[in-house]
Amino acid sequence: MEDKKPIIELKDVTFTYASTETPALKGVNLTIYEGEYVALMGLNGAGKTTLQLTFNGVIPNMMMGDFEGTVIVSGMDTDEYPVREMAKVIGLVFDNPEFQLSQMTVAEEIALGLENIGTPPAEMHRIIAESLEIVGLSGFEDRSPFGLSGGQQQRLSIASALAMKPRIVVMDEPTSNVDPIGKEEIFAVAAQLNRERGMTVIMAEHEVEVMAAYADRIIVLHKGEIVLNGTPHEVFTQVDTLKSIGLRVPQATELAYQLDQKRLASYAGKYPVTTEEAVQDLTDKFGKGG
Amino acid sequence: MPEEKIVCQNLGHVYPRGKIVALENVNLTICSQEIIGVIGQNGSGKTTLVKHFNGLLKPTSGKVIVEGNDTAKKKVQELAAHVGYVFQNPNHQLFAKTVEHELEFGPTNLGLSREEVEERREKAIEFFGLQDLRLSHPYRISFPLRKLVSMAAVYTMRPAVFILDEPTTGQDNITTRTVYRLIERLREEGSTVICVAHDMILLAEVVDRMIVMRNSHLIADASPREVFSDTELMHSTHITPPQITSIGLRWPGFGEKKVLLSVDEAVTAINSSNPPANS
Amino acid sequence: MQGVAIPITMVAGDSYIHRLNPLPKLFIALGVLILSFATRNPLVLGVVFALGLVFVTAAGIWKSYLRVVGILFPISLTLVVMQSIAPAFPRPWTPITDFGPFTIYQEGIYSGVSMLLRIFSMTTFALVMIMTTHPSDLFTSLQKIGMPYVLNFILTMTLQLIPILQNEFAIVLSAQKSRGMKGSGFGAVLPSMVPVFVGAIERVQQLSISLESRAFGSTGIKTSFRNVTMSLKDYVIMVLGVLATLATTVWVIADKSLDWSRTLIFPPTLSIIIVALAAIGFVAFFILAISYVLRA
Repeated sequence: MEDKKPIIELKDVTFTYASTETPALKGVNLTIYEGEYVALMGLNGAGKTTLQLTFNGVIPNMMMGDFEGTVIVSGMDTDEYPVREMAKVIGLVFDNPEFQLSQMTVAEEIALGLENIGTPPAEMHRIIAESLEIVGLSGFEDRSPFGLSGGQQQRLSIASALAMKPRIVVMDEPTSNVDPIGKEEIFAVAAQLNRERGMTVIMAEHEVEVMAAYADRIIVLHKGEIVLNGTPHEVFTQVDTLKSIGLRVPQATELAYQLDQKRLASYAGKYPVTTEEAVQDLTDKFGKGG
Repeated sequence: MPEEKIVCQNLGHVYPRGKIVALENVNLTICSQEIIGVIGQNGSGKTTLVKHFNGLLKPTSGKVIVEGNDTAKKKVQELAAHVGYVFQNPNHQLFAKTVEHELEFGPTNLGLSREEVEERREKAIEFFGLQDLRLSHPYRISFPLRKLVSMAAVYTMRPAVFILDEPTTGQDNITTRTVYRLIERLREEGSTVICVAHDMILLAEVVDRMIVMRNSHLIADASPREVFSDTELMHSTHITPPQITSIGLRWPGFGEKKVLLSVDEAVTAINSSNPPANS
Repeated sequence: MQGVAIPITMVAGDSYIHRLNPLPKLFIALGVLILSFATRNPLVLGVVFALGLVFVTAAGIWKSYLRVVGILFPISLTLVVMQSIAPAFPRPWTPITDFGPFTIYQEGIYSGVSMLLRIFSMTTFALVMIMTTHPSDLFTSLQKIGMPYVLNFILTMTLQLIPILQNEFAIVLSAQKSRGMKGSGFGAVLPSMVPVFVGAIERVQQLSISLESRAFGSTGIKTSFRNVTMSLKDYVIMVLGVLATLATTVWVIADKSLDWSRTLIFPPTLSIIIVALAAIGFVAFFILAISYVLRA
């Protein structure tokens, strides 16, 4: 194991939105390490979005409610820094691509944050070009953000966050409003940021098969609490727990689980999570022929 | 004998602005009690196609006949009793102060008597399990439930055909399962269901026929098994079949190019060809 | 999808006027606006209008310009009709002739015609400014002369929001028609407006979180992505333009002989022709517009 440096630390975080009674997060303790790709899973309303909003201080700084505990991101206590300061460390991308856009051109959309922190124009142009290149939108500078496809809009949102040079990118169901090509593009960009640039990526996502293939770690939230937290293998092996809270496992895992249950094969609690692993396991257990 | 519900004859559509061809020469017959998936990337023409089914768009060439009505001669409002359209985003549909009022909107528009409106409302509440939400404000309930309310609001129109635009997007597993069950039950009641969806697991498990759109053309109209087995087609439309289908195609033990649609099918296939493991 | 959009946006181009800094264009347009309100003299207004058309030609925006005029002209014709029979002018009025149940007045025709020219002289200059200037450049320039950054953002956002809300409205309308809603009448107001309104609020809330997460609202020095500079040439044009419009304004106010309201005599036949054409033009446009909206 390489030396792991914590980049996000939550201690006993509890948050209750104003106008509601039950806490959206209940006593959450969590450490995320630099360079990790973390998937957040859970039912709608399990607390995924709320948790993500604590990472850059939107909660408690911009949301009404009761907040307890501490969130330290890259050494900064989110309670003490305004959200706009946190932008230099952590970028957020939300589920509805259109609701994050406001400018007339793609370049201006990215420039918005840079103008606010006083980046000199010459450097701004360089950063815009670089950010667009990372997300594969070079040449789109003068297009209207609202004329882009959903996948392109999400990549633009990622680029806008990247322009601030953060070390962490948080994405809240970034693919829920885009088509299959758009999904592929977003997953590819996220993986590239993590693998090639060593950025910490945190993604809330319903697509278990994809997350099983990409994420280093899966965190499962249920009713505001972390119920499972580990590698995809560790988490998806807990099929019964996941099913009891209404979540799906990858079909690769589900197949092994059922074969195990019906005593058609013995997996000894080590289920595959990806297509490749499932095919390999089937070959190991049943050979190549029928 | 299946009844013909929607018939497209040489259907074409050119958007007036910029003369963009959105559909070209689509021929299609949709019958009662079919469950159909319409797939393709955004911009492939799939939304343009289904918007012709309830008259939101009129053919610029060819014809669409819905339960015997030529859609070119009917208003959307008149076709609403034949074909129900549940939009992707429930927020585009819901406006009333309570779920009950929301459910009364459609049948009231149809000019039904008060008793009948109430009867339909009650039936929809029961069918979609909305008993606890009757008096809730549609905007104050969770997104998955809001989606069910928007489906229920269309259900009160008693259409013969339901169009569901992305019924499972952004939904968790529990709601997705609920949607699967509802689609099956709609069929049992005699309805036709058309799902415009990117969710291949949904389509593999629920649908009996898939219509694949690409570049304004209908390029395939076949069972999910046939569509998913056509790797060329999958590739050209950038569609990834469910994981279990990929496993089935890659592990030779299932048999020559076996196309699996669900985990249950895979388990059955292994069960029938392999003795239980002895280790 | 198709809303009835009013086509007032920038027209891409690289004319001399396009390359001019937004500020001289803005100030000249404002100067013409003041000048147009300072006089009723048809000759002065007509010359200003003609000058505006020269700029339309220089900017190469005739096509887009005519599309706006196509809407504006028929609507302005009502002014001619209304003014002719009820002038916005101190009495006594000089009757010229009867037109059906109405009386056409000398002052009315004069006032109607000058108002028409006034509208066209100022909108022509305004359109030249709008159609040759990128809105972001304009807002950035204004920010440079003291407009707050947040106001710049709000203006930009508002411009963006109009077509988005039009589009949302079209979607909501299709959704409700699919539920059998009759397209018009009081009953259609809530079902078609509430979702658009609620969606807009949700959009703004989400946007504010998203913006804050991108350092929007940081204190300290702000920079501009758009590089809008004022060259010597821009200053010269601005100063000359402002001086010219101001000087003309002073002249048209001071020179009483420019009031032609009693000297520019409209013969009865001509008056009837003007009013009748204006009325026919407007009614025809109205019928066309209604039938277009009903069809959509």
